[in-house]
Amino acid sequence: MNLATYLRYWRLNFLTLLEYRLNFLMWVGFTIIYHGTAVIALWVTLHQFPSMNGWDFRELSLLYGLWMLGHAFHNTFFFTIGEVPNMVREGGFDRFLVRPLDPLFQALTVPQQIWPDELAMAIGIFPFITIYSGVHVDWFYVIFVPAVMIGGALVDFGIQLTVATLSFWVVRIDTLRWVVMSLEADFTRYPISIYTRAVQLILTFALPFAFMNFFPATLLLHKTGGGFAFNAWIGMLTPLVGLLYASLAYAFWRVGLRRYSGTGS
Amino acid sequence: MIAPYVEFAKKAFTRESTYRVEVFSNIGSLIFRVYLMRSLWTALYAHNAAPPNIPLHAMITYATIALLMSLVLEVDGTRSIHEKLRQGSIATDLMRPINLPLSFFSDGFGMTLFHAFTILPSLLFALFLVHIDVPNPAAMLAFALSFALGYVLNSLINFLMNMVAFWTLETFALQLMVRWTSDLLSGQLLPLTFFPGFLGNIVQNLPFAAIYSAPLRIYIGDLSPKSYAATFETQVFWILVSGAVAAFIWSRAQRHIVVQGG
Repeated sequence: MNLATYLRYWRLNFLTLLEYRLNFLMWVGFTIIYHGTAVIALWVTLHQFPSMNGWDFRELSLLYGLWMLGHAFHNTFFFTIGEVPNMVREGGFDRFLVRPLDPLFQALTVPQQIWPDELAMAIGIFPFITIYSGVHVDWFYVIFVPAVMIGGALVDFGIQLTVATLSFWVVRIDTLRWVVMSLEADFTRYPISIYTRAVQLILTFALPFAFMNFFPATLLLHKTGGGFAFNAWIGMLTPLVGLLYASLAYAFWRVGLRRYSGTGS
Repeated sequence: MIAPYVEFAKKAFTRESTYRVEVFSNIGSLIFRVYLMRSLWTALYAHNAAPPNIPLHAMITYATIALLMSLVLEVDGTRSIHEKLRQGSIATDLMRPINLPLSFFSDGFGMTLFHAFTILPSLLFALFLVHIDVPNPAAMLAFALSFALGYVLNSLINFLMNMVAFWTLETFALQLMVRWTSDLLSGQLLPLTFFPGFLGNIVQNLPFAAIYSAPLRIYIGDLSPKSYAATFETQVFWILVSGAVAAFIWSRAQRHIVVQGG
């Protein structure tokens, strides 16, 4: 039943796409510029400095491609969770509580102009990145990459859900979302081995962005050494870490929700 | 004559100072960025030959000063055009006996002044993480002048951007696009001299280069005192060009709104 509702939600999204064609084109342009400028900056940097802790531009492009997959998946299916702090502040969230549908489900299906352009781009460009990076492609690669995409998206979702849940306690939290998002963009762009050990630990355990791309890419490219002494097979854990992280965030969300509806504020 | 604009600036200053949480998160994310770029450039210099003219300490200085400059340059005073158009209040604004673009700029300047104050604590925190070179007084003065020119140019480009709202009403995506492009092409992310060959020639001659690259290259000593005059000239040139374009579009935009209202 929820699935039918969800499909309807996507039908509406596609209908808005047809209605606001110019807006859609603008956001496509935005997506291209966002990723384009990031990759060009990376290319220019690597042109001047050919090795980043033993990673060259080809390998970094795989790092970027893997992140882009997970992040775009999150942006497409979970993006509206970030609107929760605004809704809580303006009181719109209370409406969710009186409807006979799960509040999280409702938060994930807020009608907004959400279009799958970034995800389509990420998936469309990934085969080219695969060829360019010279990574070895076998049956494992074909199964593993989609799993990393979903696992990475769940990591992203877990972090955004945690931020959203904080808004049940702290009212003005919306800027935190953008701070976290820009940190994510920065921390996933380079191999985490360039950071100090403390930051590497944070990126592995607290805000596990490293599972979105660094560990899987290390595994796929057979990189050794360079900072973390973990076994390369840790990259296999991405889907599991994503599930675990999202579940923990969901548990936290339940606690926050109970508290929020309990006080009736 | 100038009194109302001073008032606009004052109002904007007090308005900005009410968003304290935003200020803290701005400073916080800046400190993160300083750490991040220190790690990045240190790793890059450790594994590769240093580029000519820019040793590691100059690069770290460059990136830190660029981040501090962005606290001021990322304030967009003319963004309110968008809201004014959507709500229609631009009509009454146009009837007032003031120069509207000037009022936008003074509003932006007030906001900027407030954010300029956040540079100081940011700088203090940044100094815990990195060491910054300090140039001689003459270069410092030249940097200040060049930064001011870059600020004017940046405001004009923002103004141009926001005027698109007169025609499209939706500008958010466009603004962000210009922001990302400008971050890359202005030298905020990395020195424009890193762009190879032909590409380098192009980006160094675009107007964006006059915003971050010019003052930063003066600061780190990549530009010698002999070329200061030419640098200022280029900056003034771009200010005049974008000013003229902005004035032209503004006159068209005003007519456009009259047509819409009629």
